[in-house]
Amino acid sequence: MADLKLLEKLCIARGISGNEDEVRDIILGEIKSYADSIEISPLGNIIAFKKGKNRPKTKLMLNAHMDEVGLIVTHITEDGLLKFTEVGGIDRRVLCGKPVTVGSKIEGVIGAKPIHLLKDEEKENSVPVKDLYIDIGAVDKEEASKYVSPGDSVTFDSIFDTSYGMIKSRALDDRAGCAVLINMIKSDLKYDMTFVFAVQEEIGLRGSKTAAFAVEPKAAIVVESTTAADVANVKKENQVCKLGSGAAVSFMDRRTIYDKKYYSMAFEAAKQINVKCQPKLAVAGGNDAGAIHISRSGVRTIAVSLPCRYLHSAVGMISQADFACVNKLVLKLAEMISGEEQND
Amino acid sequence: MNHLKELVFRLCSAPGTPGDENGAAETAAEELSKYAKVRIDKMGNVVAKLGKKDAKNHIMLDAHIDQIGLIVTNIDENGFIRVERTGGVDRRVLPGSPVKIYGREVLNGIVCSTPPHLSVGGEDKVMPIDEMAVDAGLTREQAEKLICPGDRIVFNTKPRSLLGTRISAAALDDRAGVASLIRCVELLKDTKLNCELSILCSSREEVGSQGAVTGAYQIKPTEAIIIDVSFAKQPNVPPEKCGKLGGGPMIGIAPALDRSMTDKLIKTAEKNNITYKLDVMGNSTGTNSDEIAMSRKGVKSALISIPLRYMHTPVEVIDLADVESTAKLMAEYIKGVE
Repeated sequence: MADLKLLEKLCIARGISGNEDEVRDIILGEIKSYADSIEISPLGNIIAFKKGKNRPKTKLMLNAHMDEVGLIVTHITEDGLLKFTEVGGIDRRVLCGKPVTVGSKIEGVIGAKPIHLLKDEEKENSVPVKDLYIDIGAVDKEEASKYVSPGDSVTFDSIFDTSYGMIKSRALDDRAGCAVLINMIKSDLKYDMTFVFAVQEEIGLRGSKTAAFAVEPKAAIVVESTTAADVANVKKENQVCKLGSGAAVSFMDRRTIYDKKYYSMAFEAAKQINVKCQPKLAVAGGNDAGAIHISRSGVRTIAVSLPCRYLHSAVGMISQADFACVNKLVLKLAEMISGEEQND
Repeated sequence: MNHLKELVFRLCSAPGTPGDENGAAETAAEELSKYAKVRIDKMGNVVAKLGKKDAKNHIMLDAHIDQIGLIVTNIDENGFIRVERTGGVDRRVLPGSPVKIYGREVLNGIVCSTPPHLSVGGEDKVMPIDEMAVDAGLTREQAEKLICPGDRIVFNTKPRSLLGTRISAAALDDRAGVASLIRCVELLKDTKLNCELSILCSSREEVGSQGAVTGAYQIKPTEAIIIDVSFAKQPNVPPEKCGKLGGGPMIGIAPALDRSMTDKLIKTAEKNNITYKLDVMGNSTGTNSDEIAMSRKGVKSALISIPLRYMHTPVEVIDLADVESTAKLMAEYIKGVE
């Protein structure tokens, strides 16, 4: 079974886009004795190179992003409450009534007007972000300013639970992907490979764009977490992908049309090592592949994702079996891509 | 204040939804039994007895022990747990909330949030409760072994310390009140009382005050003080409806409350330098006092409220200083009763 302790460490770490330091330190600690070279790029990506038994026929880059969605403090009111805006795409329905941490340790909550004082139409509508604020218990602006300042990062506080074969946690998107790459770096590889732990995915694929330029790969595998909509009240045809049905492989999303050959190769690889694999059945979302596949003269790219319910909220859910599938499939697919000559 | 914080955190960590208050009730009973004879009755009320038995005056202090929550109605074909509300849970805070399911074992669940592009009304609309569900990550077969219709679900938010003496937790409504009762009894532990004193931590307030109705009947007090929470100042809430965090207890004035008791509470507060705010209501109070005042041939009743922000959400906020001053106000009041 995959290393859940490592995943827990990664998920508990706080790192919204542009402030990935804590996650980066954990990853560096994990990989430093296994990678052959490690470089931190100007924007903060980790680019790690690991030698394998053989030289690859196709230079492959594997990519997962370190950042998570969250909030950023924009203003402190006279009453000592914190106004904020979202960092990355957050469904505003999941904000109200949540405990959060501001910076690395100031505890706060996102409050709401008491239900007793709501008008009927207010009960039926989610609260717009402009009406939300974080309460850290400050009496006034002066007290709040001693502990926080505009620009501070805000992350959700929730749980890490591994009961009944699932993993329920914050930030599975994309610490789960980071864990997959770390596991690979720690293993013996058949071919040389380059691993990118990217910054700023959630605000526009900014880390991976620059990393792909620096690495100059011929092929790329993006390891992500993607929306599984197999939840209550969603029709079968709208579920995108399902927990427990294995790694999700994309043919197209809002950013990328994936390499056709690699798409088939992913299913072939899954078959060869007998792990579950499912197509992502919707043209939705987007990930670092969007930036990587158009780097320089183009990079053949494929995305292998963990189906994750409640992505971009305080607590997501993945299946441990799927996590194991993704670990195995990415390794196999990486070997197949690296070992095959590419005409162009 | 740390001692009081620990007490409030313990009370808020114990589950106790209406009709299933046992976890919280036992925690309260354990605390009260340090100072009084305590029992939990058939309606789930915690009743503690102190003072001079059969004295002319018999004061009852009441705070409700139950908290809002969800109740399992059924498990659907895909293993999602369908729920109804017990008490006024704000549906706006449910999507994506971590919850604890009290089935055969305690399970971690998440209230389903449907991706915006697949939700009617997108991000704007709040779904009706019968379209919501709790996801425990279980198949139907697993779920049916572990969870039954009627099982209870509460928000899974750990109590937390904010700046100063402010704290946040689910269930501060009305465990903050229960804590003030326990603290009041502690403050009175070396005082010889001239009156009889009963403490009622009443069940089922959030669904209609049934615990207070039956509790007051059996206790037969001559007068009662009800401790609940009320709105503390926060954005978008009319200031005239609010107390202030750290501003001390809110003393209720309402046609349904006894004015002489209220006046005595105000005098007691002033004599003991306890900051307070008057909380004036036009009719009844919407708390247990409405029922308790009408018990048997009638019971003179007063209401004290602890100011609280974000009522009925997983992140209610209070200032512990208000719990302490509420306890002190009650203790001083009781000392003055012949």
